Amino acid sequence: MSERIGVYVCHCGTNIAGIVDVADVSKWAGEKLADKGVVIARDYKFMCSSLGQELIQKDIKEQKLTRVVVAACSPHLHEKTFRNACKGAGLNPYLCELVSIREQDSWVHTDKVAATAKAKAIVSGGVARVIHHEALEPLRVPIHPDTLVVGGGIAGIQAALEIADAGFRVYLVEREPSIGGHMAQFDKTFPTLDCSACILTPKMVDVGNHPNITLLTWSEVQKVDGYVGNFAVTIKKKPRYIKTEDCTGCGICWEKCPKKVIDNVFEAGMGNRKAVYVPFPQAVPKYPVIDDVNCTYYLKGTCKACEKFCPTNAIDFNQKAEEITVQVGNIILATGYDLFDARRIPQYGYGKLANVFTNLEFERLCNAAGPTGGNIVLRDGKTAPKTVGIVHCVGSRDKNYNAYCSAICCMQSLKFAHLVRERTGAEVYNFYIDIRTPSKGYEEFYQRLLEEGTRFVRGKVAEVTSVARIPEEEGKLIIQVEDTLIGKQRRIPVDMVVLSSGMQSRHDSKDVAKLFGISCSADNWFIERHPKLDPVATMTDGIYIAGCVQGPKDIPASVVQGAAAAARVLGKIQQKEIALEPVRATINQDQCSGCRICNNLCPFNAILFHEDKMVSEVNPALCQGCGTCVAGCPAGAISGTGFSNEQILSQIDGLLLLNISHAAVPVE
Amino acid sequence: MKQYAYYPGCSLESLGKGYHVSALEVAGALGVELKEIEDWNCCGATAYFPVDELLAYTLTARNLAKAEKTGLDFVAPCSACYKNAYFTNSYLQKDADLAEHINYALEADNLHVSGTSKVRHLIEVFINDVGLEEIKNKVSNPLKGLRVAPYYGCQILRPRKDHEDVENPQFFEGLLSTIGAEPIDYASKTRCCGGSLIITNRKAALDMVRILLQDAVNHNADVISTTCPMCNVNLEVYQNQVNREFGTQYSIPVMYFTQLMGLALGIVPGQLGIGRNQVSGASMLAFAQNPKQERNL
Amino acid sequence: MVDELSFSYEVGNLMYASHGEPITNCLQCGTCSGTCPAVEFMDHSPRQIIGMIRADLKEEVLASNTYWTCASCYHCSVRCPAEIDIADMMYALKRYSMWKGQFQEGLIGPDFSEAFVKMIVNSGRSFEPLLAATYLPKFSARDIIQEGLTATGLVLSGKMPLLPKKIKGLKKFQQMVRRIIPIGEPS
Repeated sequence: MSERIGVYVCHCGTNIAGIVDVADVSKWAGEKLADKGVVIARDYKFMCSSLGQELIQKDIKEQKLTRVVVAACSPHLHEKTFRNACKGAGLNPYLCELVSIREQDSWVHTDKVAATAKAKAIVSGGVARVIHHEALEPLRVPIHPDTLVVGGGIAGIQAALEIADAGFRVYLVEREPSIGGHMAQFDKTFPTLDCSACILTPKMVDVGNHPNITLLTWSEVQKVDGYVGNFAVTIKKKPRYIKTEDCTGCGICWEKCPKKVIDNVFEAGMGNRKAVYVPFPQAVPKYPVIDDVNCTYYLKGTCKACEKFCPTNAIDFNQKAEEITVQVGNIILATGYDLFDARRIPQYGYGKLANVFTNLEFERLCNAAGPTGGNIVLRDGKTAPKTVGIVHCVGSRDKNYNAYCSAICCMQSLKFAHLVRERTGAEVYNFYIDIRTPSKGYEEFYQRLLEEGTRFVRGKVAEVTSVARIPEEEGKLIIQVEDTLIGKQRRIPVDMVVLSSGMQSRHDSKDVAKLFGISCSADNWFIERHPKLDPVATMTDGIYIAGCVQGPKDIPASVVQGAAAAARVLGKIQQKEIALEPVRATINQDQCSGCRICNNLCPFNAILFHEDKMVSEVNPALCQGCGTCVAGCPAGAISGTGFSNEQILSQIDGLLLLNISHAAVPVE
Repeated sequence: MKQYAYYPGCSLESLGKGYHVSALEVAGALGVELKEIEDWNCCGATAYFPVDELLAYTLTARNLAKAEKTGLDFVAPCSACYKNAYFTNSYLQKDADLAEHINYALEADNLHVSGTSKVRHLIEVFINDVGLEEIKNKVSNPLKGLRVAPYYGCQILRPRKDHEDVENPQFFEGLLSTIGAEPIDYASKTRCCGGSLIITNRKAALDMVRILLQDAVNHNADVISTTCPMCNVNLEVYQNQVNREFGTQYSIPVMYFTQLMGLALGIVPGQLGIGRNQVSGASMLAFAQNPKQERNL
Repeated sequence: MVDELSFSYEVGNLMYASHGEPITNCLQCGTCSGTCPAVEFMDHSPRQIIGMIRADLKEEVLASNTYWTCASCYHCSVRCPAEIDIADMMYALKRYSMWKGQFQEGLIGPDFSEAFVKMIVNSGRSFEPLLAATYLPKFSARDIIQEGLTATGLVLSGKMPLLPKKIKGLKKFQQMVRRIIPIGEPS
C-alpha cells in the first residue's frame, strides 16, 4: 500500500517565490509525483505561520495523510515547527520532511527557469525519501538530580550556589587547596573598586557551609562515564596529609614549618609560603595541605615540625590519595584561564629587567594581604616608583601570539593606573591601541582616569629597554613606542613597567575537553553550542560551560554564565527526564565483524565494544546522529535512523528524476 | 671532510677581505672544505629589490642553481647574501609560478634551479655541522678574558624563517664561549647597523652605528664581532666618521667571528686579515697569546 | 572590473607576491614605528605611510623620504601583530617610485639602485668605486674629502680593488637578465 503524501511549497514572501515559480512546482508535484503517492500539493505564502501550519493539520486529518513534505527554508529554522504541527494533528513528527528550496535554491540562483526546475527536483527527492521514514519516538532518559561543578572560581561558585540554594546536591571539584580562583588574587575589582576578597569571600563561606554542596578541593576529575542524566564521574582526592576531621585550621603547623617555598600560584612568584600551607588566610576549606615536593620530610625524612606542634594530631604523612565515584545528571565546567607568559615577548624584558611586572604580580603588590602589604614598590621591596608605565595588549591582538582581544585588560590597566596614582602619586602612562570599555560604568571609569591625570599614549609598545641614550634615561626603564596620535617615536623613561598580559586557555584544555567529550576552539577555549544564542551549553548534552573557560570575560559576565548554566541544569532536573532526538545510529550486530573502526571514529565516545560478543553497539543517549560511523563502517553494518542508506539513495533517485540537462536550461 | 658550495659574495673580495681569508683558514682548521662556486655573480644585496623583485630573485637563483649542480649545501658568509639566498630558495620551492619564471631566465645560461640545495650561513655551519664540542677540542688558545660584543645584525635573523627566537638569539654567544671568550649581553645586538643607508642616507646610518658602538662600549666590550661584511664596514670603517659627526671618541676594534675563531685556533693574526683594519686591533691582539700554526692556504 | 586603480589597490597589487598579510589588516598600532631604528630620519613613520596609502594619498606618499630611508632590517615585519611585511611594502614603494620616476628630490637611493643594477648587468659583480658617481655629487665638500680619505685607507689596506671584475659567463648572464627585464644590449 502506498503512502499518502502531502506536499507544501512555501512562497516565503518573495524570498522563494521571487525566483522559483512555486505555483508551478506545487502543480507539478501534484501531477507528476501522484504515482509516488502524492495525494495533495499546495503552495502558500508563509507555511510557517499558524495558518500555514493549520493547512497541513487540516489535510492530515481530512486527507488521511501518512507523510508530509514541506518545501521551504532550511531545516535549521523550521523543522521543529512543522514536526510539531504534524504531531498536533496526530501524525508522528518524524514522518515529516522539510526540504530547503530557499538556502539551497532561491537564495543562491538568479536563473528563474533553472531554479524552478531545481526546486522540482528537490521536492521530488524529498518525496522519494519520506516514503522510507519511520515513526520514531524520542528517547526518554531519567535525570539524576545531583550536579558536578568543576572549577571553584567565581563562575563555578555562582553555579554551585544557585543549584544548591534550589535544594539540589552539588559536587564542587577544585584542583587547588582552596576555592576562589583568580578573583581571590586580585586587589580591587573594576569599575566599582570593590575589594575583591571582600565580595568574594562571603560567597566562598556560603559554599563551605552549604549543606547541599560537597566541596572537593585539592581534587581532580579522572574519568567520566555515561551520558546526560546519568554520568558516573571518578574523582581523585589528592592527599592533603591532613586529617580534615581533626584539623581545626588553627595555623600552628604553617607557623612552625621551617621550609619556605616560593609561591608561584597564588602569590604569582612574588612571595613565599611554607611547605604546609593554606593558599591565603580566607581559604575555604580552612584545611592546609602539605606540598610533598618541597616538604623536608618527603625529601629527607626529617623535620616533622608540624606533626610535633599540631594540637589535635591532625598530620598524617602516610595519607594516600583517594578515588571516589559520584553519580550526577549534569556537569558544569568552569575551570577558568591561564595568564599569557610574557617571557614569550623578549623585547618587553619580563624576566630580564627586574622592574617589569605582569598584571598578576602587580595585583599581589597592590593587595593588602600580599607580599608587600599593599605597598606599590619596586623589586627591591622598598623603593616607590615615581613613574609607572602600563602596557596594554601584551600577547593579545597579536598574530604572533594570540590574535584575539582579552576583553578585560583595558579596564584592568585603567584600574592599575588609578591605584598607582591613589597610593603613590606617581606619574602614570598607559600605552594602548584602543580603549575598550563597553560595559556598565566602564566608560565612566575611563573618564575618571582622564580627570585624574593619567597620561594616555596611543601606541603599542615596541620595546622596554634599559639602554640609556641620554642622561635622563640612566637607571630607568625606557619604553620605546610610537605616539601615533602625534606621529612621533618616543622614548619614555619610567621606574616600573606593568604588562597587561592577556588571558589564555588553561595549558591542559585539550586534555580536559577530551575527558568530558567536548571540543575546543583553535585557541583552546571550550566551544559553546551557539556563539550568539547558546553560550553556556555545549554540543554534548548534559555538559555546560561557564566563565573564562569559554573565552575571556570579566567577573559580571562570568557570574552571569555561572547562573545561566545553573538555571539550565535546574530546568533539566525539574523535568526529571529528558527527551533525546531519536536520530541515531544503530549497528546491525549480525553484520558487525568486530573490527572496531567505528569505536575510534565516534567524536562523542558513543560506541561501546562488547568483548564477549565481539560486536560494537551504539549508546543511543550519547549518539548525536552525525553519521561518521555509518560512513566509516567497511561492512555497511551501521544504519542511521533518519539517515538510512535506503532513505538517502531514494532521495538521490528522486533528485535525478527530472534529468535536468544543461542544454535544456538557458544560461544566464 | 665536510664539503660545501661556498658563495663568498662581492664584499668578501674587497671590503670584507679579512672575512674571506679568515673563513678559509678556520674552515681548513676545522676540516671543512669551502669549494667556491664556479663563476658566481653578485646577489644584488639590498639594491635590486628597489628596482625589480623577479630580477633580484633570479640573480640569486643563478648561484643556487650552480650550487645545486655540485649537490652540496650553499654556504654564504655574508648575512645579506644569506638572506637573499635563503628566501629565494624557500619561495621558489613553495611558489611554482615563481620557479617557472626564474627557470625560464636561467635557461638562457643553461641552468635550472629546484631548491634542493640547503642554504646555510657560515656561522651556523660551524656551530651545527662541526659542533661546539669539536671546536672546543681544537681551541689551543682560548681567548680568556676577552670581552666580545656579539653583533648579529638583522639579515641573519630576519625575516623569521621558522619559529626561532629572533629577539634574543644565543647561538653567537655560545660560539664565543666555546672559544674561551666572554660574550657580553647587550640589548642592541640585533639592531640594524644601517646597511646600505651608509651610502643612501649617511646621517641615518651613522646614528644607527653610534647607538651600537655606545651600547658595546657601555658594556665594556673589548671588541665587537660581526657575521656580515656590511655590518663590519659600517661599524669599523666609518667609526671615525661617527666620531666626527657626534664628537665621540670611539676606538673599538671590530672583528669577524672567523677572525676570533682563528685566533683561538692558534692561527697567526696576519693570516686572518687582522692588522689591516681601519680601527686598530692591536689592543685586542694581546689575547692572541700562542699563535702556533702558520698555515699555507 | 575597476575602471581606475586607486593607489592603495596598486600598492596592494605590487605586494601580491609578498609573504605577509595585506596592508588592509593594519590596526595602526604603531609597533613598526616604535621599533624602526631609522624612523627619526623619516618624514613619516612607517605606520603613517600605511595610513596614507590606505587614504590613497599617492603624491604625499611618493614625495615622502620614508621608504627610501628604510634599511630593510625587517624588525617591523617580525613584530607586526597583523603580520604585515612592512619592509616588503617599502621595497614595493621603491619600485613604484622608480617606475614612475617620482620621488623626493636630492635622494641618493634611486640613482644608487639604478647604477647598481646597471653595474651588475654589465659585469656580473659589484665594484664600489663605480657607484661613487651616484652619491658623491650630493655630498658636501667636506664629506667628499672624508670619503676620499676613507677610500684611500681602504685601498692601502687591500680592501678596495682598483679594477672591476667581470664574470666569465657574462654573455649568457646578460641573456638571462634580458629574459626578465629588457636591459643591456641584445646579443
